[in-house]
Amino acid sequence: MTLVRPGVPQPEDVVQFRVSMQMTRLDIKNYLEKIYNVPVAVVRTRIQFGKNKKRNHKNQKVKCPDYKVAYVQLDQGQTFQFPNLFPEKEQTPEPGSIDDIQNKYLEEERQKYQSDPRRGGVPAWFGL
Amino acid sequence: MAALRSKWSELCRQIQASSAAAVKAGPGAGPWYPPVVASLTAKSKAAQRRRQELFHQLLHEAGSIEKKLQLYEQRQRRKFVVYPQTFALRADRSYQSFTKTAFVPGLPPASRAPVHLDLGALRSLVCDALLQEYFYLRRPFACSPNPPESLHESFLTQLVTILSGQLAARNPLLATSTLDFQPQVNFYWMRGEEVVRHGHRSGRVDPVRFQIDDRPLLQIRVPKQLPKFVPLDHLVAEEIPVINHTPDKLPMFKRQYENKVFIGSKVADPCRYGHTQFHLIPERLKRKKLIQKNLAHHIEVVYRANGIASLFAWTAAQAMYQGFWSEADVTHPFVSQAVVTDGQYFAFFCYQLNTLALTVEADKNNPRKNICWGTDSKPLYEAVEENNIKGFNDEVLLQLIQFLLNRPKGLQTDRLPLASA
Repeated sequence: MTLVRPGVPQPEDVVQFRVSMQMTRLDIKNYLEKIYNVPVAVVRTRIQFGKNKKRNHKNQKVKCPDYKVAYVQLDQGQTFQFPNLFPEKEQTPEPGSIDDIQNKYLEEERQKYQSDPRRGGVPAWFGL
Repeated sequence: MAALRSKWSELCRQIQASSAAAVKAGPGAGPWYPPVVASLTAKSKAAQRRRQELFHQLLHEAGSIEKKLQLYEQRQRRKFVVYPQTFALRADRSYQSFTKTAFVPGLPPASRAPVHLDLGALRSLVCDALLQEYFYLRRPFACSPNPPESLHESFLTQLVTILSGQLAARNPLLATSTLDFQPQVNFYWMRGEEVVRHGHRSGRVDPVRFQIDDRPLLQIRVPKQLPKFVPLDHLVAEEIPVINHTPDKLPMFKRQYENKVFIGSKVADPCRYGHTQFHLIPERLKRKKLIQKNLAHHIEVVYRANGIASLFAWTAAQAMYQGFWSEADVTHPFVSQAVVTDGQYFAFFCYQLNTLALTVEADKNNPRKNICWGTDSKPLYEAVEENNIKGFNDEVLLQLIQFLLNRPKGLQTDRLPLASA
C-alpha cells in the first residue's frame, strides 16, 4: 500500500493510495484502522488500466502494469494534505566561495554588453 | 428548433437593418459609421460573448413564462445530478457551495412565535394516527426490527392531512392550499466554471451544470407567498463553505437528459408558491444503518443535505415560475419550509431564496446569499408499545403546528382566491 500525491485536487479528508489488486475496500479499511489506528469513514476503489501502447526496440508492444487506486475518506473531521517533498531552497552562495566569484564575474560581463539606457530601447543600428 | 432559428435570423436582420438605417439617416450630422461590434459567427471569444448576449436578450424578451422556461431548458449538455438524499460524506457543505446557501442552526424568530392552541385535542388525534398505523392495523411487519417505508409513509400522510384539516380554521391559507402526494420537483442551474478535459472540446471553459430531481413525500402549495424571514440583502454571519475540488470527488456523477424546472404543477396552476414539504429518509440512510457503519455523526448531515438541496430546488423553481432567472435576479425573497423525517425523528428547515444569480458572470458583484435555517432531528415519540405511546414530545408537535400555521400577515378568509379559480 503506497500513499501517493493525487493528480487532481481531492477533498481535504481524502487520502489517495495505490494498493494491491487483490485488496478490497473492507481490507483497506481494516488494515488502516487496526495496524495504523487511522479512523476511516469510507473507502472507494478503482482499477487503473495500464496502457499497451509503448513499443520496445523490437517493435513489440510493452504493457504498463494495471494497479488499484484507493480513495480513503478519513473520519472524525481529520484532514490530510500531501506534503511538498522537494521544497525550493533559496540559493545564496557564501561570500568568498567559487560560485559567488563566478556569479559576480558573469554579472560584470553582462553589464558590459547592455545597451545604453539613454537610447530608450531603440536598437544600436538605428541612426537618424 | 425552427422557431428559434427564425427568431435568431430575425434578430440578425433587425441589427443589420438598424445599422443600415443609421447610415442612411447620417447626412445631416456628418459621417455616420455603423456600430463597431464583434462578429456573430467568428471563432473568437468576443463573438461567443455576443452570441451569449443575444441569447440572454431572447430569454428576456420571451412572450410567456412557458416559452422562457422552454428556451432555458432547451440545450442539453452533460450535467451533475444532485441527489438530496445522498450517502456521500460531508454532502451538506458541498451542496451549500453549489447553491450559494449559508446554513444557520436553529429556526428564524418568526417560526418560534408562541401559539395559543388547544394542544391536547391535536395530540390525541396524532397519537390515534400513530397507534392506528403501528398497532391497530395488525400488519405482520409492523413489529419487525426493519419495518418497510410504506408504514412511515402512511403515518406521515395521516399526520399531515389531520393537522392541516384541523388548522385550516385558524389558517385560511391552508383552506385554499393543494396537498400533493409524491410530486416531482426539478430544478436545473449553472454554477462555476470548469475546463473540458477530454474530447474535441478539450481546453475550453464550460459552466458546471447541475440538476436536482426530487420526489418529496408530501407537499403543500398555496396561492399566496409566505412572508420573508429577513430582508432581501440581509447578510448572515455564517460563511458559505468554499470547495477547491471538482464536484465529482463528492462522489457525484454526470448524465445528459431532459433539463427540467418543475415545482409540482405546471405554470398555469394558481397555487404557485410553496408552503411546506415533507421528506421521508430512505431505509439505507436511517439512523440504525449509519450507526452500524460507525457514522453516527453523519446522521445530521443527511438531514441537512436533504433540507438544503430539496428546498433550494423547490424555491428556485418557484422563482423561475414567476419569470426570474440567473440574469434577471429576484426582486423579493422567496420562502419555503420543509420537514425531513424518518418516521420517528423530525428535523425542521426554513429556506429563503435571495438570489438566483449563480453563474460566473451574474455572480461577479452579487453580495446576496441564500439562507437556510435548520434544527437537529428530535424524536416525536420514544417507542410504540401495545396500545401505548411512550415519551411523546410536545415540542416537535408544536413546531409542526407552527410551520403549518405560517401565513402572510393580514390574511382574511373572504379575500383569498379560490384554488379552483
